[in-house]
Order: sequence, then C-alpha cells, then structure tokens
Amino acid sequence: MEIPIHATEAKGYFTWMGNDGIARTCVKPNLDIVLEHAIENSKIVSSFFVDKKFPILIDARNIKSMSYEARHHFSAHRRETKTNVFGIIIGSSISRVLGNFYLGINKPAVPTRLFDNEQDSINWLKQFCS
Amino acid sequence: MYTKSNISLSDKARVNEILEVILAFARQDFEKKVEIRDDDNLLDGIGSGINMLGEELEHSRISLAEKEQLLKEVHHRVKNNMQIISSLLNLQSDKIVDKKVLHLLRESQNRIKSMSLVHEMLYKSQDLSKISLNEYIESLCRSVYRSYSQPESHIEFEFNLEGDLLLDVDKMIPLGLILNEIISNSLKYAFPDKLGKIQITFHAEANKFNLTVSDNGIGLIENFDIDKDSNLGIQLIYMLAEQLDGKVSYKNHNGVTYLIQF
Repeated sequence: MEIPIHATEAKGYFTWMGNDGIARTCVKPNLDIVLEHAIENSKIVSSFFVDKKFPILIDARNIKSMSYEARHHFSAHRRETKTNVFGIIIGSSISRVLGNFYLGINKPAVPTRLFDNEQDSINWLKQFCS
Repeated sequence: MYTKSNISLSDKARVNEILEVILAFARQDFEKKVEIRDDDNLLDGIGSGINMLGEELEHSRISLAEKEQLLKEVHHRVKNNMQIISSLLNLQSDKIVDKKVLHLLRESQNRIKSMSLVHEMLYKSQDLSKISLNEYIESLCRSVYRSYSQPESHIEFEFNLEGDLLLDVDKMIPLGLILNEIISNSLKYAFPDKLGKIQITFHAEANKFNLTVSDNGIGLIENFDIDKDSNLGIQLIYMLAEQLDGKVSYKNHNGVTYLIQF
C-alpha cells in the first residue's frame, strides 16, 4: 500500500482519507498492537468524519500481534464509530490467523471482510461510499 | 505441508514450545505465551492464534467467575429481603391479640422462611442452581418444628431420603412450600397429646420423584371432602403440585399420608 505524504503518522499506523471516500490505515511492520495504538488510530479515523460514515481499508499484512484489549476496541462494540464497513488486507500467516480470529471471535459490529489484495478490497468498499 | 521427515530441528523445538503453552492453558495457566518472531512462518501464525485463544479463555474465565459472584450476591439479597419481610410480620404480630390473625401471620412467615431457605442454601452451595434435597428437607423440618413446637411436645421426624439428590430452584421452591404446608398441618392438628411421628420419604423412580409425608396422628375428620373441607394450606399443596407437573393423593388411615408425584 502506497503511503501518501499527507498521511497521519501515529505510533502504530499511517492513516489517511483517500480521494474515493475510503479511509486507509496501514499497520507499521512487526508491530505488537496494544490498546493505546488502537485508541490513537480510532481518534485519527474519527477526525475524517464530516457528515456521513465512511468505509475503511486496513492493511494488516505486516502485523505481528494484537492484544485482547485492542481486538475488542477494534470490534467497535459498545462504542461509537464513524466507519460503516471494514476491509482488511491480510498476507502473512500471522495476519491471516489474526484476521480470521478477529472475524470469528471478536465479531466486529460493522460488516467486515478479509482480502488478499488491495484492489479487491477497494472494489468491495466502494459500494458503501455514500 | 509439514511431515515427519521434513520438520527441521528448530521447527521441532517450536512445535514443542507451542505444545507447552497449550498444556499450560489446560492447567488454566495463562501466563505462558508462544514467542512470536518477526518472520512470516506458519508456526508463528499458529502461535499467534494460540496466544489469542489463551487471552480469550482467560477473560471468559474471569467473566464467568464474576457472574457466579453476582448470582451468589443476588441469592444472598433475596434471602435477606425475605428475612426482612419475615421480621416485619414478626413485629406486626407483637401488636396483635387476635389468635386467628396471629396464626395467619405465623403461617405466612413459615412460607417465606421455606423459600428463603432455598436462596440461603443456593448462595452457600458450589453449584449455584441446585441444592441438596436431603439437606433442604431436614433444615426445613427443623425450622417448621421450631415454629410450632410447644413445651412438652415430643414429635419425632424420620427421614428416608434416597441418595443425595440435587434439585434446581424451580422445583425446590414449590416442593419446599408443599412440605411446609403438610408438616405444619400435622404439627398443628395431628397430635393433640403432643406426641407422635412424622415420616418423610423421597425417592426417584423412572423419571418421576415421589415425596411421601405421613404422620401417625388422629387423621383428618371423618368423611373429609377435599373440595369442601380444605383450608388454604391444602389448596396450596394442590396448586404447587400442579406447578411441578405433579399430582397429589392422600390416605386417611392411621394418621394422614400425602403422596406427591412429579
């Protein structure tokens, strides 16, 4: 995933809003994601909100692990989220296990799908842009 | 695909490390974790999944323990509230001189006690949904006896209770109230000379429970008609047996015997 210059860099992610109305977030390599990273990311993503909820594409191919608390935060249960759908790109063994675990166990509150490549994910997310 | 022949020594060590963590989880030790290296390795993926399963297991165990504690607390509070109601009735009875009203208050107190005893035993039990039938029946009989016993009364209880059955609260509350009514009736009316015996038998038989309560007292009045002559207590016995999907029968011979099948 190509990271634009205007992307916001946080401890664990690069995050930006695309011209197509889809937000993007790219996990930094070999990151052990904890709750602090998750909250920081949610704040940045929420700052893109104008008047309508939007889809988000998460590039998790480089992830190393994600803590219990962070997974539950990202599941968006019992918290207000400005996003209406998640597309997650997976690649490595770890990201594949984590992605499937997140879908099966943490059951995110918004529609979520896993993808092997960026383009398929964008094609799917576009239908949720208003 | 990993086969016996192509597993390297380092992979074998990692597989053993993963097995150690799984065994630790089986011992409810969730401190151990599979070390995840930076490389994109299948074993790292498996290890990562196992670590996450461990975290979920640990949290669900905590959440279950919290719920159990909460349930204990609820049973404790229900029991305390019932005791408060019982104490209020007791206080009211201090100001009442009419024997009939006093009698009604005492009956109500005993009914409340029989229910509060279920909740008391529930919060003290390991299993928060079931209690020991034997322990309950014996405690209930002691409590009812204390309430009705008079100086010089020698009423003996004989228990013949099968094994140590555990019943859930939905069955125990109506069963306790039924027992309370039958024993109270015996203690009030069966032994004018304050001497006698009450036998309680409980046994399971082909998906049915049989509760038999008999006394060797003076028996019911001659030509007793359940529809005409029964008091609130006897009506309650029939209503509560229905709640248990059970039936009631009685014999008026050498005292009174009630059989409740449910």
